[in-house]
Amino acid sequence: MDFTPVIDNFDLYLEGLWTTVRLVFFALVFGFVLAVPFAIMRTSKNPAVNGPVWAFTYFFRGTPLLVQMFLVYYGLGQMQFMIELSQQPAFEFLQDAYWYALFAFTLNTAAYTTEIFRGAILGTPYGEVEAARACGMSKVQIYRRVILPSAFRRALPAYSNEVIFMLHGSAIASVITIVDLLGAARIINSRYFTPYEAFISVGVLYFCITFALIGGFKLLENRWFAHLRPREETTAKRKTKVSQAA
Amino acid sequence: MALADTGPVAAAAPAALEAEDVHKSFGNLEVLKGVSITAREGDVIAMLGSSGSGKSTFLRCVNLLENPNAGRITVGGETLRLVPGKHGEGLVAEDAEQIRRIRARLAMVFQSFNLWSHMTVLENVIEAPIHVLKRPKAEAVSYGEEILQRVGLYDRRDYYPAHLSGGQQQRVAIARALAMDPSVMLFDEPTSALDPELVGEVLRVIRSLAEEGRTMIVVTHEMGFAREVSTETIFLHQGRIEEAGPPQEVFNNPRSERFRQFLEGTLK
Repeated sequence: MDFTPVIDNFDLYLEGLWTTVRLVFFALVFGFVLAVPFAIMRTSKNPAVNGPVWAFTYFFRGTPLLVQMFLVYYGLGQMQFMIELSQQPAFEFLQDAYWYALFAFTLNTAAYTTEIFRGAILGTPYGEVEAARACGMSKVQIYRRVILPSAFRRALPAYSNEVIFMLHGSAIASVITIVDLLGAARIINSRYFTPYEAFISVGVLYFCITFALIGGFKLLENRWFAHLRPREETTAKRKTKVSQAA
Repeated sequence: MALADTGPVAAAAPAALEAEDVHKSFGNLEVLKGVSITAREGDVIAMLGSSGSGKSTFLRCVNLLENPNAGRITVGGETLRLVPGKHGEGLVAEDAEQIRRIRARLAMVFQSFNLWSHMTVLENVIEAPIHVLKRPKAEAVSYGEEILQRVGLYDRRDYYPAHLSGGQQQRVAIARALAMDPSVMLFDEPTSALDPELVGEVLRVIRSLAEEGRTMIVVTHEMGFAREVSTETIFLHQGRIEEAGPPQEVFNNPRSERFRQFLEGTLK
């Protein structure tokens, strides 16, 4: 095996890495921001409130991400008004496939995250909510201070899975001309015909990001799950600062 | 404040809490058939009754955790404005602001503690003073620590509820209630979820609160506690007050046959 083409073109990989990280990061941030109110709406007993959110999550969890991205890029993106819009100077960025992928990824992760948070919100011990009501908290305060902090903690393990799925799912962005990590590898492969070298390197890079993500979530869990761990471990952690697997 | 000056001889303390003619049904089951009580400042009212008699439901109607079907609640002279709920759930507060203000004055201690599990002991205690009473954090912390000192849990202030015993958790819940400086404290079977050997530590704290003249309504199964600590004992049976009076009277000379049976049953 000869990794020279990969090493010579490593800046292309770095560029792809940067695109992947930006794409996934913003999709997750926007998806999260949408998912919190959606999840609260989803737990409502009023069908006019939870119905639309239910339909949204049903569609985005019921179809492949690739289909959703095609619908947005080839469907929405090729509509006459979108083409005209993208020719206006202020909207030239709409010619870039990146934004279509970001849009599709955001809605997709929002749908999954909504359902994860919904389950976590429903899992809040009702007595804790009653205690909050009994001491005079408003509905907003109860969500902000009791239900959501407790639900986010419970949702963390499932949400970390969603983040990793989103990272790996983002590889399909290369299908619509985006030079993300996989896009960079495909360029190297077609230029030098070195499939093993090109794709092994990209696999290693995905692996490294995943590893960093898992580590990050582990740190968060250590911080946030202190209330669920046995007491000894909490004190031990404070002393050594080197945390053991929880 | 209600005018309490009824004469130089019978100068009763002003009423801290009045509940009049409280009715509550769950479906066809009428759980409360018109219960009225008045807690004057410094009163310790013990509510007894077998399970299903409606005593917990009554307590939960007072701060509207349960929506009564009829009744009037007055706290410190301020009457809670109630209107029929839109979904047939009974009476609801007309003014959300008012019910929050009244709830903040009626601290409640639950049978199952209901501490906020993601907060430490101290965080549980300072949460409502900071966010409901809008006290400055430093002030809430120093007052919270003082209260934790008092219930004997100052050294556990950084623990999470899951790391405490049931008795300790209930003492934290009492500290959390005290931190609100409530005008009336409501205890909903505070020792019923505890192992027998942990009951004492919680009762000691409640007794010390009674001794310093706090107004309290305690729903309980602890006969000895009711007898020794309460200023008034009320016995509920099938949604009605069956017997009420000073504990010396009702325990020594129960007028109601049912209360006599209840006492015999619990003393066995």
